[in-house]
Amino acid sequence: MDVAIDVIKLSKEYKNTSTLAVDDISFSIEEGEMFGLLGPNGAGKTTTISILCGLLQSTKGEVIIGGMNSITHSDSIKKIIGIVPQDIALYPNLTAYENLRFFGNMQGIKGTHLKHRISELLGIFGLEQKAKQKVNTFSGGMKRRVNLIAGILHAPKILFLDEPTVGIDVQSRKVIMEYLMTLKQVGMTIVYSSHHMEEAEKFCDRVAIIDFGKIIVHGKPNNMIEKYDNCNNLEDIFIETTGRSLRD
Amino acid sequence: MLKYLASTLKEIILLTRDRGGLAMLFIMPVALIIIMTLLQDSTFKALEERKLPILILNMDQDTFGINIYEGLSSSSFFSVIAQEENSQDPVGSLKKRVASGEFQIGIIIKSDASNRLRNNIRYNIIKQLPEEDSLFFGEMSIQRKDKPKIEIYFDPITKNSFKQSITSALNEFSSGVEAKVLFNVYSSLFKELLDMDMNNEGGFKKLVDIETLYATNDGQMTVPNSVQHNVPAWTIFAMFFIVIPLAGNIIKERETGISQRLKVVSGSTLPIILGKVTTYFFVGILQAVSMLAVGVWVLPLLGLPQLILGSNIIALILLTALVSLAASGYGVVIGSIANSQEQSSIFGSISVVILAAIGGIWVPVFIMSDIMQKVSMISPLNWALRGYYDVLLRNSNTFEILPSLISLLSFFVLCLGIAWRFNSTRKSY
Repeated sequence: MDVAIDVIKLSKEYKNTSTLAVDDISFSIEEGEMFGLLGPNGAGKTTTISILCGLLQSTKGEVIIGGMNSITHSDSIKKIIGIVPQDIALYPNLTAYENLRFFGNMQGIKGTHLKHRISELLGIFGLEQKAKQKVNTFSGGMKRRVNLIAGILHAPKILFLDEPTVGIDVQSRKVIMEYLMTLKQVGMTIVYSSHHMEEAEKFCDRVAIIDFGKIIVHGKPNNMIEKYDNCNNLEDIFIETTGRSLRD
Repeated sequence: MLKYLASTLKEIILLTRDRGGLAMLFIMPVALIIIMTLLQDSTFKALEERKLPILILNMDQDTFGINIYEGLSSSSFFSVIAQEENSQDPVGSLKKRVASGEFQIGIIIKSDASNRLRNNIRYNIIKQLPEEDSLFFGEMSIQRKDKPKIEIYFDPITKNSFKQSITSALNEFSSGVEAKVLFNVYSSLFKELLDMDMNNEGGFKKLVDIETLYATNDGQMTVPNSVQHNVPAWTIFAMFFIVIPLAGNIIKERETGISQRLKVVSGSTLPIILGKVTTYFFVGILQAVSMLAVGVWVLPLLGLPQLILGSNIIALILLTALVSLAASGYGVVIGSIANSQEQSSIFGSISVVILAAIGGIWVPVFIMSDIMQKVSMISPLNWALRGYYDVLLRNSNTFEILPSLISLLSFFVLCLGIAWRFNSTRKSY
């Protein structure tokens, strides 16, 4: 399989801080792979995803996406990636349909193609009947689903998800994760950050546990569980590697 | 183009959904225009129509004193009240009443003022005659006396404009009385010298007529009044307040992560910014139309003069469009630079107030100090105001207001450039 994302010795230092948010990390993600980026709060997950999406510039290192350098070919890269931010990045006063039409237009999709695409995705996520309702009337789970649809309208080759299932009900999470598996099966590369170890263990091909800006351990979940004698699941490994102390 | 149209459509929908916010965008500026114009108009009226009460003590009771008293009484600016002379201390009483704020101005015409005036005029005339003729009048017996005197007492809170009004009026009436007395003295001298009776029919009349006219560029005269001055000034001020919702809109997108999502879209963010500018540009235009309409149709119902839009409507439309564009550009740049809603609303509102203050919205530029007059040139509100005054008061055409139009357009382009640059380089658009 071809490499979709290649991260080489990546570092990020924010202004007015003495520590590195991302500290010399390297990893590769293959095409069609679902890669989980796990770690406690403030570990560097969101910073890493922001650099990969081109929202932040790294202090050091290189990122190659789809064979293109992230700095010199940022605009070409943007055409093949999609992002689902941690926040509900939608206009509360617009309906679900109006939000999706706007973000679809931003991606260059228009007309009947866009209409069908929105209808198809709203149907998949059980929101077809809610298309004409304002987003501010939706439950948390419904908003998360629309938030996800807005990121995949243009069928990107690579999808970045920053904690896409945080704070939602089990049903919504199930629908989201199942659809992500469908996307993976049709060849989409998915980079996904989460606190849900069980979710990551179940759906990700490979995971990396990141803490204090460094990758502590990475690999296939099953291989990792086998490697750690005292650990029965990914959560045990997470606690084993990142410790029990509370994080800010 | 698709991005631009989608962004514009989205902004229009968002604006129309926020009915409360939309109402504020129109109701508040209209209220501002009505209140400020009524206030300013009543201030003018206080000077022009409401008579200023003056307490007067005429201790002369002769030609000079009576003429000054009658002159002030007949003036449309003053309402004259006589201080009772039979009180124990009329001078002290007058001072007390002014000091206590009962009257803002008190005038004392000193006793013997008319005699002194007549004497001194006669003395001056005879002094100018050849010696042999002057002896005819017994010149040696006439001595110059102290000048007749008027004392004016002001309440400490009296405004300078009132002080100047009363001083000018007294000077005017005093000169008139002097001329009258001079005429009478000459008459009596002629009688004594030549035994000639002067024909005093008609008495002394003013010989100079002063006519007040306004200069305009095309000869068509629009009489300046509080409405003609205030409506354009407060319209500009209100239009620039669009920076608050516009900047807030941009920051909200940044805070909710929408801008993050939009920044991951390929291509420039300029069409998205232009979509916002377009929407708020039309809001600004509608604001201006509603405020000018208030000047034309509503203010007359409140007893104020009607706003006259002048004869150069194209110039007025162009100018209004560029003011709206400049205001939208300013909103975009503040939204792009500010880091939070708090920053943008505080900086946005205060900066507009400062630009209005130095731009001549509150105080006319010509009465500012030299330094402030130069500083006023940097305010886009000043460029706009000069343009409006040119169109509405001087009947200037598009070509004649070109400097204002070019300045406002350049300001918009500069703001847009800064906003675009800032959005391209910051963490999220």
